[in-house]
Amino acid sequence: MALLLRMVARQGLCSSRTQFSVLYRHAVPMGTSAKEEMNRFWEKNTQLNRPLSPHISIYRWSIPMAMSITHRGTGIALSGGISAFALAALVLPGSFPYYLDLIHSLSFGPALITASKFAVSFPVAFHTFNGIRHLSWDVGKGLKIPEVYRSGYIVITLSILTSLALTAL
Amino acid sequence: MCFRVSLCPWLVVIAMAALVRIGSVCRRSVPPLLFRSSSLVRPLAARKKDQEYPYLFTAEIHASPSCNASAGSKAASLHWTGERVLSVILLSMGPMAYFYPGPVMDCSLAAALTLHGHWGLGQVVTDYVHGDSKVKLARAGLFLLSTVTFAGLCYFNYHDVGICKAVALLWSK
Repeated sequence: MALLLRMVARQGLCSSRTQFSVLYRHAVPMGTSAKEEMNRFWEKNTQLNRPLSPHISIYRWSIPMAMSITHRGTGIALSGGISAFALAALVLPGSFPYYLDLIHSLSFGPALITASKFAVSFPVAFHTFNGIRHLSWDVGKGLKIPEVYRSGYIVITLSILTSLALTAL
Repeated sequence: MCFRVSLCPWLVVIAMAALVRIGSVCRRSVPPLLFRSSSLVRPLAARKKDQEYPYLFTAEIHASPSCNASAGSKAASLHWTGERVLSVILLSMGPMAYFYPGPVMDCSLAAALTLHGHWGLGQVVTDYVHGDSKVKLARAGLFLLSTVTFAGLCYFNYHDVGICKAVALLWSK
């Protein structure tokens, strides 16, 4: 620190690089990666049987928080649906139109068909629009809190409208 | 890579006072880097470490790879970029599949959807699964799932109506 002060006084608060190199003069590499440190953290704490601090049970829910977990939830659900579909394609003997006719012959009411169409299109729409919101964050746009809330409301509105439109198709 | 920066606690207080003095003397605001460097100097937070090292306390920081001589692998960074690129590609496939359905669309959609799902679920595994053996098991299971999914979708595209047609049929009911 004394070195730093002397450098500062001498150079009159210019050239940030010299200050940076002074700080690193006493640096010692530790030789562990962030991943290793994380593993150590979890190993130590599970071994000591430490309880996890309450977090989602006590923290106040916010719109961005809810949208984030919904993005994850819809992603998992859609992925699971696609995997189930693919598995069924491999395992089941008949063809797709056959099974479609089978379901159609069971004559579900139009309400159920509309409801299931909405149940499929809403996750797709929400995940897509929120995905675009994530991509805009990745390029650094819209990260201020009011912008986050505004884009969030836009995504919710667009998702509902799009899934209604898709259901009506 | 992590670095340990050793600083003397005694000079911390002097440094803080001196910074204010220098700032007032030069009659312009102290450049931001000085304040950033002072954030490495945390007298209160490091009190506990003082007991272990009575004459100096250490701050551990993760430096970015550009600061060390031996830069780490770019795999993670490339993976991140690849995820975003794939997301954009998949986004464009929506309208493309609507306007140009067909076997080429079916196959590219199968590949893009499976990979996007695989990488997405990979992030979920990274977030919630801890411990070397559990992570390995989860990743193996995920790989198996993605392989089966892709195989199933390819089979469907080849032997059955194909993804685009299937969605069209499903929605016509």
